[in-house]
Amino acid sequence: MTGEVALEKEKYTAQKIKALEEKGLMGTVKRVSDNEYYVNIDPEKIRLAAQEAHNNWKMTLVSLFASDERALCQCFALYYAFADRKAGNLFVLRTEIHAEKNEFLSISGEVPAAALYEREIQDFFGLVPVGHPDPKPLVFHENWPEGCFPLRKEFEKSFRPSFADREIGFARVEGEGIYEIPVGPVHAGIIEPGHFRFSVAGEPIINLEARLGYVHKGIEKLCEGESIEKGLHFSERISGDESFSHSLAYCQAVEKIAGISVPYKAQLTRVFFAELERLVSHLGDLGGVCLDAAYGFATFQYRMLRGWSYRIAAETCGMRFLRSVNQPGGVRKDFLKGREASVLLQLEKIRKELSETTDLVRSNTLYADRIENTGILKQQTAKDLNAVGPGGRGSGVECDVRKHFPYCSYDKLDFETIKKKNGDISSRLQVKSLECMESLKLMETVLHELRDLPEGNIREEIGILPAYGFAFGMNEGAKGENIHWLMAGENNTIFRYKVRTPSFCNWPALCHAVRGNLVPDFPLINKSFNLSYAGNDL
Amino acid sequence: MFKSIKKIIEYGRLTQEYPNDPVNIDGIIGCPVIDPLLCTGCGICEKRCPSEAILLDGMTGKAGIRLDRCVFCCLCEDICPQGAAKMTKDIELAEKSREKLMPGGITVCECDVTDVSEEDLGELLSKKIKKMFGRSLKIREVDSGSCNACDYEINGLNNPFNDIERFGISFVASPRHADMLLVTGTASRNMQVALQKTYAATPDPKLVVAVGACACSGGIFRGSYATGDGIDTLVPVDVYIPGCPPRPQAILYGILKALDRVR
Repeated sequence: MTGEVALEKEKYTAQKIKALEEKGLMGTVKRVSDNEYYVNIDPEKIRLAAQEAHNNWKMTLVSLFASDERALCQCFALYYAFADRKAGNLFVLRTEIHAEKNEFLSISGEVPAAALYEREIQDFFGLVPVGHPDPKPLVFHENWPEGCFPLRKEFEKSFRPSFADREIGFARVEGEGIYEIPVGPVHAGIIEPGHFRFSVAGEPIINLEARLGYVHKGIEKLCEGESIEKGLHFSERISGDESFSHSLAYCQAVEKIAGISVPYKAQLTRVFFAELERLVSHLGDLGGVCLDAAYGFATFQYRMLRGWSYRIAAETCGMRFLRSVNQPGGVRKDFLKGREASVLLQLEKIRKELSETTDLVRSNTLYADRIENTGILKQQTAKDLNAVGPGGRGSGVECDVRKHFPYCSYDKLDFETIKKKNGDISSRLQVKSLECMESLKLMETVLHELRDLPEGNIREEIGILPAYGFAFGMNEGAKGENIHWLMAGENNTIFRYKVRTPSFCNWPALCHAVRGNLVPDFPLINKSFNLSYAGNDL
Repeated sequence: MFKSIKKIIEYGRLTQEYPNDPVNIDGIIGCPVIDPLLCTGCGICEKRCPSEAILLDGMTGKAGIRLDRCVFCCLCEDICPQGAAKMTKDIELAEKSREKLMPGGITVCECDVTDVSEEDLGELLSKKIKKMFGRSLKIREVDSGSCNACDYEINGLNNPFNDIERFGISFVASPRHADMLLVTGTASRNMQVALQKTYAATPDPKLVVAVGACACSGGIFRGSYATGDGIDTLVPVDVYIPGCPPRPQAILYGILKALDRVR
């Protein structure tokens, strides 16, 4: 970033802080690293402050979480992270809820994207969002007893409470001829579990409620108290097909807390693997939609391409899912050394085949008929719910962490953010197939550059992290924006680890996109978003 | 249309000849082994192993690896001061009992294996299964709380490189049609009832295969408030396939092992 731009961005942020001050909402401001501002706000005034950030400054609520900081300040802390994508800043409103109070003001009325986060906080901490429109449990099901809050520090992580029998209903749509179709949790395909409750009038879907949480494993709690080293292995297993980007977000957070910068060579290696993961994931989705539309030839073309991409992963790092590549401070090994030429050849082969396949698929009118104008996600809905990744960009939302919050020297690389306006399946698929091309281009650039780099360091030591230091790690994964927040404990342990995956944001968007569509189109719409159940449930 | 046909002719047959032709890719990572001659029993790997898969033998003091827990993260190789731990290329690891995945000579006292498959089915019945399923098998996949990597690898069995249908094996949409359940994940709290119902809905005789470290033992998520420690606490398991995730060929090997069609 050039000095001038940086200066302008600082000015811009200073203005916002001043505006808060004038409204009497201001507490102390703390600046952590160059783009994170933490503002302490009185819990009574959080609604006004959130409204100011969301409505007047057009910031997006990207994460909202609680942290049990009773040992530090006798309070539960709530963090409302707003992203200022224009200036590349994170603006975090922090409020403290007194330990005995057990409730906080809901901002879901003002900021629709907050609804799920607040339910999540209620499940894990037992803090009640006052004024929430639909405060039923999010992660826990009928079997979870009331009064058990796993993310409170006194809850033992291996404690398994006995099975309860609570009642948690579904939203009911009533009217003449309306019936319900329950689907799941075990689905017909080879896919993760989740329950879908369709309210249907004849063919069109009136409402879809997705009940998730079936694969909840308690990752956030499992990480607490563990070493920073072990946290990495958990982050790699948040969601299998996003292993690399999640471990990268974790490493970014650790590196920020430690205050170290990653060697250039490691940064480029990370770009290569991040783009490879995007390519593999997008190829899978492109093939998946074809499969659900019974377009066999194209399915197998994409699967072949995907197989070739997996082969690159297996040859360079030994793991098809790019695990054990990242390490806090850099990468584990110099994986690409000496392999540049052979990988470049394989990439060229993929590029040629992919562009020919895309042309073939686009000329198929029967297929186009299925995917055009199906599953439309309106731009305003996408913005309100903070739909991220190809799901948001397919609806014309400008969101790409690589551009707005550059990391791993993405600001020095030449690539385009693909955006389409229609918001239908076809737009999302076009975004994905064009992004594959961009990824191929980026990987090639990086390989050329790596080939010319002399032997060098690939990892910095993280040393001992400052106790109770905290930071965000952000990157653009295949499915969208990953945001991890980490607070270190004493002796390089984890005090609190909050993971916000892109799937968490996009599930509500999916439920909106299917309205008015036919039930048989649901699998296509679902696949065009390709959301992770594991990433949502954690 | 003609362009599509041209493409089909251009690529011909992509399917690899596994298991006749073993997987041979440079640098792939299989299971770790610890060389007992080099191991000094310092215990560093035991302390730092993220899934507590490394145990020191009470008698000899040497480290051994429990493959049912191992997540193949390469950490032991990186940190072993003696260079005793090494990642191999071996992926054909599936075994019919959990004990066989544990290091030889180590008595695992806190082991909670409840493999009742043999008691339940008996020798006779298992012979009958093999006779019945000898040439054809229908599989229902159940994700009971995985990270979805194992599921993607099972999906990979359908791609043109592995093409599982050449063995007469295919995936079906309902447990009612299935002969085998391929289960991934830790048996998370919210999936336990669904897994048991799916098992009950599958007609007898049936086989259950646990895919991945999570299904074998709970893997890295073992001991959480929201998971079960492996699926054999809920349903009887016939074959355990270690890996995090196991490669498609490793899963294929496990399925064939369940049918006694390999070795």
